[in-house]
Amino acid sequence: MIYLIVKNFFRSKAHGIGLVLLLIAGLISLEIGSRFLKKTEQVSVKTAQYQQESILRNVSYFDKEMGTLMYYLKFGLENKVPNLAALSIGQRDIFPTVQSVTVRNLEEQRFSTDLTNPLYQLLGNMDFSFVLIYFFPLVIISFGFNLISEEKEGGTWSLVRSQAGSPMSFLRYKMGIRVISVLAVLLVLLLVAKFYLNIPMNQHFLAFILVSVCYVLFWFALTWLVVSFQKNSSTNAQTLLICWVFLNLILPAGINVFQRWLFPIPEAMTTVIQNREGYHAQWDKPKEPTLEKFYARYPQYASFVHPKELDFSWLWYFAMQQLGDEEAASEVTELKSKLRQRLDLSKKVSWLIPTVHTQLTLNSVGLSDQGNYLNYLTALEEFHEELKHYFFPKIFQDSPVREEEWSKFTLRVFQDEYAVSWLKTLAPFVIFMLAFLLWATTNFKTARLN
Amino acid sequence: MIEAKQLSKSYGGQIALQALDMNIKEGEIFALLGQNGAGKTTTINCFLGFVEPTSGEALIHGVSVSNNPLESKQYLAYIPETVMLYPNLSGIENLAFFSSLAGQNYSEEKLKGFLSKSGLQESAQKQRVGGYSKGMRQKVGIAIALAKKAKALFLDEPTSGLDPKASNEFSEILKELSGEGTAILMATHDIFRAKEVAHRIGIMKEGQLVSELNAVDISANELEMLYLKTI
Repeated sequence: MIYLIVKNFFRSKAHGIGLVLLLIAGLISLEIGSRFLKKTEQVSVKTAQYQQESILRNVSYFDKEMGTLMYYLKFGLENKVPNLAALSIGQRDIFPTVQSVTVRNLEEQRFSTDLTNPLYQLLGNMDFSFVLIYFFPLVIISFGFNLISEEKEGGTWSLVRSQAGSPMSFLRYKMGIRVISVLAVLLVLLLVAKFYLNIPMNQHFLAFILVSVCYVLFWFALTWLVVSFQKNSSTNAQTLLICWVFLNLILPAGINVFQRWLFPIPEAMTTVIQNREGYHAQWDKPKEPTLEKFYARYPQYASFVHPKELDFSWLWYFAMQQLGDEEAASEVTELKSKLRQRLDLSKKVSWLIPTVHTQLTLNSVGLSDQGNYLNYLTALEEFHEELKHYFFPKIFQDSPVREEEWSKFTLRVFQDEYAVSWLKTLAPFVIFMLAFLLWATTNFKTARLN
Repeated sequence: MIEAKQLSKSYGGQIALQALDMNIKEGEIFALLGQNGAGKTTTINCFLGFVEPTSGEALIHGVSVSNNPLESKQYLAYIPETVMLYPNLSGIENLAFFSSLAGQNYSEEKLKGFLSKSGLQESAQKQRVGGYSKGMRQKVGIAIALAKKAKALFLDEPTSGLDPKASNEFSEILKELSGEGTAILMATHDIFRAKEVAHRIGIMKEGQLVSELNAVDISANELEMLYLKTI
């Protein structure tokens, strides 16, 4: 029986076409991922190169005064892109991979980054996660929506029911071949991805694979539930497409609106303004209070003093820059905590919406989500702080420029961590699938099919 | 073999079947005549387990359809008015598939034998059913019933739409099956064929079996007169 069910499945052209389209879309997405990796790789290689060149060039121009040189010198921190991110680009396409900062105030530099073609942002990337989340369900729906109704509408159902004691095993095999064929395409794509994109086999990739498989099974479980009501084909198709629209479009957009409403972030704008005001105003103010605040923040520099007779010293200049950051500090903390709250909220809500859960998890393991960006922001702060503490004493005592070993300032790399919580990752799928399967079983029992 | 005891079915207030009593023995062919909506198909559907009777009981080989649907189905075969098959599979594959649903595994030779016996020419057996005529599909349906080797056979207007030759061949197969001990319940509009093939004939009206007679006791013309008077 299984052999003939398989034969019947593959002899229908629509099924073959569906699987091939899925495969092609998947392969295209892998190519897009590969290009993304190449691009980010290029950015970091070029930045590293440029950083060295730029330091050396600046050193050759401004070798008289450490302060002047440090006004210009930029040091980069790369947010390391794991190869897995190629499968789920997430927010990586809007946030920069590398940011270079001077020891001047941080907040003004933080958001002045490389430009991205807004067209790409408009369309989004057709990365693998897109194909998985949006396209796979459509094929699953098209394979399964008429599982029973095609028999009824094609007239074979009465013969099936009179021949088989219970048609349930027939239906399970029929669904089974659909599940296996779609899973096979998924696994082939992931296998190709593993080698084509050189993805290391670690817990992140394992989580990625399991989530993808669970996501596919979730849609099959939903389809199984819908067909268990034994409505006609068009009703089933409509129901499933409405589910698709809700789960993939309306609910995610709804969560987004809800988040924005719950945690508005006016700080994004005011931070930059506060920061600029914070230090620009200092030019017209007496210098002592500025320095007092700087000493209060960093007592270790109290031994360096601003010569009273001078209008300008690098000590005052960088103290004034520091003040700009401090003016904006509370706003920055607020901004980050709100971004974090938005992220936490969507992770909580995603327990109820498997599509959102899938996207968030894939982005998390690919280190391409908001969480990674927030960690990177913190790492950038630490990096900036470290630079300041290295260079401030040298600037304030005006160490000879040529004595510094400049070649050691290569591009720094930030390697983010993400620990997979297996329970949180898989439980939402398991709960939904169990609920759907139980409900479907009840429906089949009520209809006396088993 | 096929037995109905006070079998009744109503949909809402609408009575489809009212206290039907009937007993068809091994090897007996029973033809049910009646207008559309008289309850013939409902009767068959009760035996097939597609319809749950409101009251009364349908038994096949002494097994209650409502209580033991899985067991009762083992004993029966069914040929619907229009046999619909999987268009992407060949005739022989369809037969193999439906036999496997009933838990039977036949060799290709055996399957061909069933198809030939039901009159499907050998050249068509390996062609896809999508190109079959109604009569050809009907023959595959017969082969499916033959392969099941059922004790009870249910036919819902099996010859409607068949040409006279195909109808005639069909009658021959039914007689052969009856000779081998199969009990057959056939719903039909074809008075002439009912008279020719059946042992007993029942006329249904508004869910009741209003008259029942032996086929040998009446001519086709008399049967037609009776039918017209009854309904």
